[in-house]
Amino acid sequence: MQTENWHFPAWLWFAILGMFWWGLWGFLSKVGSVSASPLQMQILFTLGMLPVAVGMLLQMRWKVDRNRGGIAYGILSGVVTGLGTLGYYAALRDQDASVVAPVTGLFPVLTVGLAFVILRERLNKVQMGGMLLALVSIVILSI
Amino acid sequence: MNHWMLYAAVAIVLWGVNGLFMKLGTNRVSARSMVIWVTVGFLVLLPLLWKESTLAGLSTSVISVGLIAGMVNGLGNWAVFACLERGAKASVAIPLTALYPLCTVILATIFLKERPSALQWLGIALAVAAGAMLSYEPPPVRAPEERVP
Repeated sequence: MQTENWHFPAWLWFAILGMFWWGLWGFLSKVGSVSASPLQMQILFTLGMLPVAVGMLLQMRWKVDRNRGGIAYGILSGVVTGLGTLGYYAALRDQDASVVAPVTGLFPVLTVGLAFVILRERLNKVQMGGMLLALVSIVILSI
Repeated sequence: MNHWMLYAAVAIVLWGVNGLFMKLGTNRVSARSMVIWVTVGFLVLLPLLWKESTLAGLSTSVISVGLIAGMVNGLGNWAVFACLERGAKASVAIPLTALYPLCTVILATIFLKERPSALQWLGIALAVAAGAMLSYEPPPVRAPEERVP
């Protein structure tokens, strides 16, 4: 590959954009949580994300897969995520966003653990290293 | 244990369980369809939240911040799909987007003047790295996995 022809790939822009939008969400959550309760934040969050969901629906030309199991896991997923987000907003009332965002970002610890136990997925070495770092970071940040 | 840690633990546990539902769901429907059904799940929760709380007493600026927070989270999901559809390897793109707390840390230290201690900085760095490492799944991967908070 000729280096002078190298372009910043489009997908990388979108990955960075995704990282930025989610990071901004974490930041705005802190700004809002100073005066709004976790319940109020979650109500606003849901209303705010609706236009984007409708936009996606239009982009998909309203063709949504309707497998029963898929629908059930999807709805369950929304309920569980929404309830978890209440915990996130509550934590932000007592602690800085710069600490709460990285700690709650450790949630894949549980996903990886559950996938290992329930779905019998194997952990790779990077994930094992991640588990170790996650535990150390939680101990440090709880001091 | 501090209060905030307990609340953060609630988020970790429920978002972690959600990761499992995401895996099981995207085995059955496309990742995009999954986002739509997840949104339906958020809507199911809405009347329950509304029963316990109203938006009365919130200033227009706080309401705007909350709405924009929801919107940018949705845009984050959209960007990840766009990224994967433009040929990104999920094994690279997903851990990269899992670095999002780094962005929150930068914004919070600049605009909210948060000043973590040296020890907290160490914890933050390890946690951010751990989040990305835990999201790594080597190729070949199945349907692109969603990380929706």
